[in-house]
Amino acid sequence: MRRSLQICLWVVVAMLGALALATIALHRSEQINAMWLIMAAVCTYAIGYRFYSKFVAAKVLALDANRATPAERFDNGRDFVPTNKWVVFGHHFAAIAGPGPLIGPVLAAQFGYLPGTLWILVGAVLGGCVQDFVILLFSVRRDGKSLTEIARAEIGRVGGFVAYIAIISIIVILLGVGALIVVNALKASPWGTFTIAMTIPIAFLMGWYMRHLRPGKVLETSALGFVLVMLAIWGGQWISQNPVAAPWFTFTAPTLAIAIMIYGYAASAMPVWLLLAPRDYLSTFVKLGTIALLALGIVAIRPTLHMPPLTRFVDGSGPIFAGNVFPFAFITIACGAISGFHSLISSGTTPKMIRRETETRMVGYGAMMSESMVAVMATIAASVLQPGTYFAINSPAGIVGKTADAAVATISNWGFPVTAAGMHSLAQAVGEQTLFNRTGGAPAFAVGMAQIFSNSLGGQAVMAIWYHFAIMFEALFILTVLDAGTRVGRFMIQDALGHIWKPIGRTSWYPSILATSAMIVGAWGYFLWQGVKDPLGGINSLWPLFGIANQLLATVALCVATTIVVKAGRARYVGVTLAPLVWLVAVTFTASWHKVFDPNPRIGFLAHAQQLVASAAPGQEVSRLIFNDRLDAVVTGILIVMVTLILLESVLLWASVLLGRKEARVKESAFVMTKFVEERG
Amino acid sequence: MKGRDRMVAGQRPGKGWISRTTSLLHLCLEEIFDESAYTRFLQRTGRTSSPQAYAAFRHDCELAKARRPRCC
Repeated sequence: MRRSLQICLWVVVAMLGALALATIALHRSEQINAMWLIMAAVCTYAIGYRFYSKFVAAKVLALDANRATPAERFDNGRDFVPTNKWVVFGHHFAAIAGPGPLIGPVLAAQFGYLPGTLWILVGAVLGGCVQDFVILLFSVRRDGKSLTEIARAEIGRVGGFVAYIAIISIIVILLGVGALIVVNALKASPWGTFTIAMTIPIAFLMGWYMRHLRPGKVLETSALGFVLVMLAIWGGQWISQNPVAAPWFTFTAPTLAIAIMIYGYAASAMPVWLLLAPRDYLSTFVKLGTIALLALGIVAIRPTLHMPPLTRFVDGSGPIFAGNVFPFAFITIACGAISGFHSLISSGTTPKMIRRETETRMVGYGAMMSESMVAVMATIAASVLQPGTYFAINSPAGIVGKTADAAVATISNWGFPVTAAGMHSLAQAVGEQTLFNRTGGAPAFAVGMAQIFSNSLGGQAVMAIWYHFAIMFEALFILTVLDAGTRVGRFMIQDALGHIWKPIGRTSWYPSILATSAMIVGAWGYFLWQGVKDPLGGINSLWPLFGIANQLLATVALCVATTIVVKAGRARYVGVTLAPLVWLVAVTFTASWHKVFDPNPRIGFLAHAQQLVASAAPGQEVSRLIFNDRLDAVVTGILIVMVTLILLESVLLWASVLLGRKEARVKESAFVMTKFVEERG
Repeated sequence: MKGRDRMVAGQRPGKGWISRTTSLLHLCLEEIFDESAYTRFLQRTGRTSSPQAYAAFRHDCELAKARRPRCC
């Protein structure tokens, strides 16, 4: 009887999911409610978790509840701590949730909401969740080793080296593009700039408070920091309206770029407790609260989506970034569907906290589903905007024209009506001078979020506060990634150079800290400067480059996973990791080919360089643009060559194992019986 | 074993579900915000909470924490 009820329940869930997916896919000529996206997502995740992840856990990974995890075997109260599964779930989700699932779907909405939504759902259930789950489990079975160490042990030296190069590349490009998004959100915005500038002294104060006044009271300190940030947002309004104070916080994009580079350098060289740690706590506090608030706002308002399911830009002529829906939608949205970066978290802190092997399913697969849900909410936030407004905010001046009249004429000619007066009143409502050409996705997301929030709480009167709250939330988020990433990159460079000259590898030696910090800031700062000076807004070049790097890291992770599945004698189930791997190889290699060799100058780096060579009078500025295009082409080429190497090494290994030429032996830690076995029930 | 320790160890204390959910949420936040790690540090080193103890804790976990990338 109970089983029959369960079957009925799952049939109902499947039918509701199918109905929701059919509604969002087939209603082409009329607007739909955002709840259809929520329903499609919830049903897809439920089916994916209940059936697919269970299949992967039982057949592919053969999770063993009797096997002691490293958290149990090495329990030292420090790194290795057996922890309640829900606590690990929350910890893991807080670690994987970054700005990517918010920005990517907003940019991909230029194709309409349909391609992005389908990729987020299918990509997560069959790709991203699987990747996070299997890498977490494989790390748990290898004493919590990192992806690079697992790649070196299971595939070979090339695998380890490629993983290292992919990680450092993705960090550099991510930091460059992240900083560019912050610059585009804050340029000519005294309110936003003041609020973000104030988070630095607030972080110092928090660092002092929790070190000297209330040692270890981080939650209390974060709540205090949050109150101060809200006061800064409120004060920012006064600053923006004050004719004396406003110019102090009104900066051009190049000035902001230099300020962010100085900030990144200082954050990397300063003691962690003073700036990095308190900012990290503050960012996490705001992040968890805002994501919950956005979910509640969407459910409470149930907004209508004004963006069509598909726009004319699926043909590759999009103003935000150029390129066809395949492959560019699939590299634009990474973190909400599948993100290589997650494999670093899944083989970082989390495997050292897992209490029982069977809990990796909920933590690895489940947390990624939650991250994917955040991406669906970002798609909704972008799609509640009128399409004309969305394109006016996100399109660079180089595409739509430098004046408001030129921009509205161009966008209206595309079939998305928008007026200069309408954009002006929207800018006034959110407390900005203008919303034209605010590329990068963050301002569009903030406007969408402010609409949802202001309709839930406070009405139009507080729309400006909500907009700047959203901008603060995104910028704080990105700057936390930036300062932590700069420090991580610095350590990686120190580790690598330490093999050549030992003193530089000493992480406490100040000359080494200053020199390697300058190297990592110089690397991402170059990409930031390139984006700031790019007449097409920078996002057109840099976001696809970031997407390619991120998805290539996922390719490395799935190569490692597939190799282990083959070596473990479970080749009949290899499709579980091989299918997303093949898809990612197709997507990233096609996208890379287009970005390097496409004859359309808006897509291909080399074609754009050639166009500049042919059309422009020689000058320093043009020479630099040409150099940047060629550099981007070389970076893309190096990434592809690296991943081709690891793919070849993996395929040769699979063939050797399957043909019996090589002994199939996975390098797991020895089996130890868990002491938690008596708790099974 | 105290209720808090039982929760960390994955056992259920004898409370109602609202109370259990609230304490689980609190534990989750304590773990995310490193308060649990500080408590474990104090237990491990036999110290009581003080500015010096917190400075030692930060020093202890600084390298591990600073090497942890934040996700995109």
